[in-house]
Amino acid sequence: MSTISPAVPTETSGHAPAKARRRRLRGFYRPRSLWLVTTIGFVLLLAPIAVVVLFSFNSGRSLYVLSGFSTQWYSSFFRSGSIISSVELSFEIAFACMVICAILGTLTAFSLARGSRLVSGSMSGTVLARLLSPEIATGVGSLLLFTQLHIQLSPITITVAHVAFSFVYVAVVVRSRLVGLNPELELAAQDLGVSPMKATRLVALPLVWPAIVASSLLVFVFSFDDFVTSYFTTGAGVPPLPVRIYAMLRFGLTPVVNAIGVVMLVTTGAVAIAAYAMFALQSRRDSAVPETLPDTPVSQGIGDVA
Amino acid sequence: MRQRFWNALALPGGAWLVVLFIAPLGIVLAYSFGTTNIVNQAIFGWHPANYLAVTKSFYAPIVLRTLLYSVLATLASILLGYPMAYTIARFGGRWRLILVGLVLVPWLVDYLVRIYAWVIILGDNGLLNTWLHDLGFSGSPPLTIVTTAPAVVIGLVYDYFPLMVLPIYMAVDQLDLDLIEASRDLGANGWRSFCRVIFPLTKHGVAAGCILVFLPMLGDFATAQFLGGPGTSMIGNLINEDFIGSGYPPYGAVLTMLIVIVLLVSMAATSIARAVSRLRESRSEAAWPVSTTSAA
Repeated sequence: MSTISPAVPTETSGHAPAKARRRRLRGFYRPRSLWLVTTIGFVLLLAPIAVVVLFSFNSGRSLYVLSGFSTQWYSSFFRSGSIISSVELSFEIAFACMVICAILGTLTAFSLARGSRLVSGSMSGTVLARLLSPEIATGVGSLLLFTQLHIQLSPITITVAHVAFSFVYVAVVVRSRLVGLNPELELAAQDLGVSPMKATRLVALPLVWPAIVASSLLVFVFSFDDFVTSYFTTGAGVPPLPVRIYAMLRFGLTPVVNAIGVVMLVTTGAVAIAAYAMFALQSRRDSAVPETLPDTPVSQGIGDVA
Repeated sequence: MRQRFWNALALPGGAWLVVLFIAPLGIVLAYSFGTTNIVNQAIFGWHPANYLAVTKSFYAPIVLRTLLYSVLATLASILLGYPMAYTIARFGGRWRLILVGLVLVPWLVDYLVRIYAWVIILGDNGLLNTWLHDLGFSGSPPLTIVTTAPAVVIGLVYDYFPLMVLPIYMAVDQLDLDLIEASRDLGANGWRSFCRVIFPLTKHGVAAGCILVFLPMLGDFATAQFLGGPGTSMIGNLINEDFIGSGYPPYGAVLTMLIVIVLLVSMAATSIARAVSRLRESRSEAAWPVSTTSAA
């Protein structure tokens, strides 16, 4: 890899050349071969999406030949009652899933960060296994569970299965925030006379709030886009949008799929940008929260306790 | 007292995981030893011989093919993902977060629409073949890709690529640049410093990426269904056929357990590797105390 500029080490290199070299290594310079590979990678990553967006505005029926601009596929999308009902269902499932995951994930995060070693250890092992499990295994398993228990497959079974795979994301993100918190802040609140529970509510919760919101928004995206788990837990009746797309593709490729893809891209993109804004807010807050408390009577009091 | 309260908060999430993660996998395990009644409904039983099904002439090639495709797609993800993650993390400057965001953009498009996009590009009448035809390549189509193994591997790489880039990005991000500079000062050329310093210090990111992409690739079925042909079915297609189609559910359960076993083995391997490296670190620190602050 001829990526790093060949800095010839010489015994005579004094202070000034070393400094220049460091600037060259650290600065924003362009190792051409690496940027070439990266550019190719980005083209390969984004070209299929560009193709979908382009063909969603195609005026012809052809899947492969662009013949002009039209919005006919969008109008046939919005006119199709069955597709719209799938969009609504996916929205409802994703929203319910997001709310449940925000609560369940935050509770789990507190137990992971502050529970006893036994509880947090066994929980984090299970959470990790859940994060790594291929969806097909848990999807098939959920299907078998519901049929064993004679539970009719419905939007509720889909939501319940979605929560099972996505609340762990909230738990992991919020846990890492909680672990990074300065414990002195809560102790300070307790010193000022509130109960430990109230200190958590008044101090820790506002600090992890952006992480909860951001990861829950991501859960919305995961649930809205989820195919495999939905596929195995959807019964008769209206399927969620990704399962609808699967059925459409099985009956033959149609350009409407492009329009659906773009609508989903815009929806999840907006939610993802909101999540990103929350993360940005959090990092700005981080620079505002002091690492250690200033030397006030409160911090001295903590010093006595510690 | 307080400890007990924090422990109690694990209850709802733990219950959810027990009922909807561990119990379902337990049922799959039970099914894998089961059999079916006359209407092909799964019933429990004790038939360990089900596991020999994977060695049968129908299943064995598909299992091996799935492993081969997943390994190839994982290697391709490393070859493309490592340089990308490295470049973004080290040289991205203030654009790095936006560039990482761009890597994630494909995920905002529905999984099936992404696969379908590759059919538009690589299909027999697709964009690539149209261009090749216009360039004067003969044959109709000039290049058959969809229905062949390369199309499935390309699709698999595309499906899970961000999961390879993100952990490598984080590993490179934590890299101490002074160490690279030190290796250069000691006379290593770029390649040597990559092999001896940069890669060893970021290989945990590569390992994490491998696990994150390899496991879902093993269970994928839509990619092979839409980008593959008759000779490219994967384990996921069999599982789908056995449970949703008209296959034999116990065999589907056996194949699912196969994926779960790979999951458990890779989790065990990671935790062992982590323990070993921690042990080695503490030993080398004891033998050679490194202090960064007192160097004068």
